[in-house]
Formats: sequence, C-alpha cells, structure tokens
Amino acid sequence: MTGITTHVLDITTGRPLSGLQIELYDVATDPPALLNKTRTNPDGRTDTPILPAASARTGQFELRFHVGEHFKAPDGLSDVVPVRFAIFDATQHYHVPMLCSPWFFSTYRGS
Amino acid sequence: MANDDLLQPARRHFALSGLALGAVALLPAGAAAQAPAAPAQASGPIVLHGVSPRLTVHALDTFHGAAATGLRIDFSRLEGASYKLIRTVTANANGRSDEPLLIGESYQAGDYELLLHVDEYFSRKEAKLPTPPFLSKVPVRIKVVNIAERIHLPIQFGPWSYTYSRGS
Repeated sequence: MTGITTHVLDITTGRPLSGLQIELYDVATDPPALLNKTRTNPDGRTDTPILPAASARTGQFELRFHVGEHFKAPDGLSDVVPVRFAIFDATQHYHVPMLCSPWFFSTYRGS
Repeated sequence: MANDDLLQPARRHFALSGLALGAVALLPAGAAAQAPAAPAQASGPIVLHGVSPRLTVHALDTFHGAAATGLRIDFSRLEGASYKLIRTVTANANGRSDEPLLIGESYQAGDYELLLHVDEYFSRKEAKLPTPPFLSKVPVRIKVVNIAERIHLPIQFGPWSYTYSRGS
C-alpha cells in the first residue's frame, strides 16, 4: 500500500473521533493546493486513503485537522492542527495518526 | 522578579500552614490523623507559581532524551490571513526561550504560530534521516483566549513524531 492515510483518536474518551473535517494540501506550491477534503468515519479513519495509492508521489504535504469545531471547548488550545510532512519515498505508505483532546495533540509516522 | 519567585512560595507556605491548622481544629478528634498534608501550592489557576500571565515554551528532543538546545523557533501572530513574524527565538540549555514568548502588554488574545526548525536541528545533530526528512518545519498553532491565565506550551519532538499540550 502507498499514499497517505490517517486515524484520529480522542484521548478524552479513548474512542475514534468521527465526523472530523480533514484536509490534505500540497504545500510545495504557494499558496498550498487543496488535494482532498473529507470527514472521518465512525472508526476515526477516512473511507478511502486521503492520498490514494494512484496519486502517491514524493513531495511536501500538510494534513489539517479541524479539531476546534469538533471539541467546541472555549479554552481549547488549537482550532486547526496542521501536520506538515514529506513523502520522501513514494513506494512507501505514510500513515499519520492524530491523538487529541482540546489541550493535547500528538502525531507520528505510524504503520 | 527572581526575588519575588523565591519569596512568594515561602509566604504562601506560611499562609497555608495557618489554613491547615484551622482545618485540623475543625475536625473531630481522630480524623486529624488522616487529614492529608496541605498541597504545596495555594494559588488558583489564574496565577501559577507566583508568575504573571504569560506564554512560555519548553522544547524537548525525545530522540536524544534531552532539552532541545539550539532549536530555532519562529514565533508569529495571525494577522488577517497570514502569520506575521514577531521574533525568532533559540531554545536555551534548558530547552526554553530565555524570555517568555509573550508577557505583560504583549500577552494578547489571538492566534499564534511556533514554527520549529526541526530539520535544521537534527541535521546539526547529524541524525541519519531520509532526504527530505519526514518532518522539516513543524508549525504548532495555538490560540490565546484568556489573558488572565498563563499558558505553558511543552513540545516533545523527534524526527518522526511530535506532541504538544497545555502545561502548567
């Protein structure tokens, strides 16, 4: 498998976070170019890879997680959390999860 | 400033001791033995550890298990549609900026960005990473809503992951 996938988990409930708006941008261009815009399903994933295998290529990408409108916490730390990363080998799969609460955000290259 | 930090905990402790004694006096005999020790801090969430409201950052390198000394951070504020650079700071020996990012008059509600030069940091550490690395310039975007409350922002990062949260 190649391309980009994600998985969003709410660490305050220990459950997948569903219905969260996520966008994928190509940030090698100025301004960044929107490649995909979708919402997480009940499993906290997107129904199809946010960057499908057919579109896999090297480059600089940015996922944006619209957490503010989901949590609606008046004192939440972030509204939109960008995760900017490179695909340096298009033959590899890039799984980039987001673990979050209104005041905590964690991301990593997963598998 | 440093003197205040040193003096105030002592004052608080003195005040707390009085409170704790008063509380013990109200408890029935026997209950006093189980009464937990008073916590070391008397201040509420508005002013923590005797310091005024401010935005502070602490960057830790989880790859080397050390403070991210030398990490360059571009600190910007959202103005209109774009982030405008306020200043660039370099994490000191303790992984912090020498001065708070915002304090006093400069601590205003708004949207801010800390752009971490993670690529430059690990390159200088001679970490063996792909080219380009998975993480290059990491944007951490936060908002300040209530300027009566301090925000401490701990950031833990490695070449393949990062975490940030509201600290104290």
